[in-house]
Amino acid sequence: MRRLLTALALAIVGAVMLAGLAGLPRPGDPAAPVHTHVAAHIVAHGVEDTGSRNLVTAVLLAYRAYDTFGEVVVIFAALAAVMVVLAPAAAPPPGKTAPPPSPAPAVAPSPVVGFVIRLLAPFIAAFAALVLWHGEALPGGGFQAGVILGALLVLLSVVMGRGLEQPLVPAAAARWLQAAGPLAFAAAMLIGLAGAGAVLGLPAEPAWGRHAVLLLLELGIGLGGAAIILGLYLQMRGH
Amino acid sequence: MSALFDLVMLALLLGMALAVARTRDLLAAAILFSGYSLVMCLLWLHRGAPDVAMTEAAVGAGVTTILFLLAIGRTGRRER
Amino acid sequence: MTAVWHAIVVALALFGAAFFLAGTLGLLRLPDFYTRAHAVSKCDTVGAGSILLALALYVAPQPEALKILLLLLLVLLSSPTSCHALAHAAHHTGLEPREPRAGEPS
Repeated sequence: MRRLLTALALAIVGAVMLAGLAGLPRPGDPAAPVHTHVAAHIVAHGVEDTGSRNLVTAVLLAYRAYDTFGEVVVIFAALAAVMVVLAPAAAPPPGKTAPPPSPAPAVAPSPVVGFVIRLLAPFIAAFAALVLWHGEALPGGGFQAGVILGALLVLLSVVMGRGLEQPLVPAAAARWLQAAGPLAFAAAMLIGLAGAGAVLGLPAEPAWGRHAVLLLLELGIGLGGAAIILGLYLQMRGH
Repeated sequence: MSALFDLVMLALLLGMALAVARTRDLLAAAILFSGYSLVMCLLWLHRGAPDVAMTEAAVGAGVTTILFLLAIGRTGRRER
Repeated sequence: MTAVWHAIVVALALFGAAFFLAGTLGLLRLPDFYTRAHAVSKCDTVGAGSILLALALYVAPQPEALKILLLLLLVLLSSPTSCHALAHAAHHTGLEPREPRAGEPS
């Protein structure tokens, strides 16, 4: 009986979704509404409006900057939630007692793996920097660079066995880095208010100002994303 | 040829999604989900979205798999 | 000249595909973790390596060939390393290789 009801509910929901899909325009249909109003305007004016040659970046950081701001806050909130949930039950008062040294990992990392990761790490970091810097002109940008850098940091932490007890950067700096995305957006909002009279507006003058704001956002999203990914990993691994 | 590639990849995707949903071994589910992300990454690339493909490969196949493994390590391997 | 060139490309690609077939068969048929990991890493390195080499030769005069060669280098570095990491972890957590049964050639 329950299985029958489940199947019935799934069939009804599926039918509704398929009916909705049938009403959508064909993928890539040039006559679809999205291609006649919004996209046409962005393709025609995107470069002069934002000064970015990559229209995906223009949409993400200028036309749809509020959405991107929301996404950045969401991943920041995810880290905050993990920190709250996984916080040690009875944390010792700061500066009173050092936490006991963590037990050695069950499997010592192999020297071969460590060597290869250390060999590849600079190239991965360079790729992340390229993706961040060139996101303005090529596919890529802050989010992509952030996840590549974050994955590299997690990989290095796994191989080197570094944990919360040997942080790469001091804890105070790590907090600011983890909040880099929302902070960059806050700065961009202030700049927009002062320079363009609108929150998240891009200043029209000077010409390099728009590039600077976009680069600031990309840097904030990238560094913040990487710090958040590493923070999630370290927090979940615990001591 | 392009449609054939899409079809094969979508069939793989569907198979992996069903396998993830059906298996009771959470470790196997995490690994299968990583494979799902890799296939999804190829599909994004084929659809002309290399930036999304980069994110999918790094987050879907890399970071979330490690987070899943950590979560399994903190709880248990079998689904109850 | 191009015919010979293409023949080399096709031969390399077929060689790689044959290695992939053998590696997949090994993954499905071999008895324990270590032998299966051995089979899969062969198809990753030699199979993917020779297919990538075939692709690099196919586009040879263009600069894309260099990119494919870099990919080949990455595959040659990363896939044996990941296989080694798996085998290392399995060995250190105490996974024993399967002993041959009585009457089985070892």
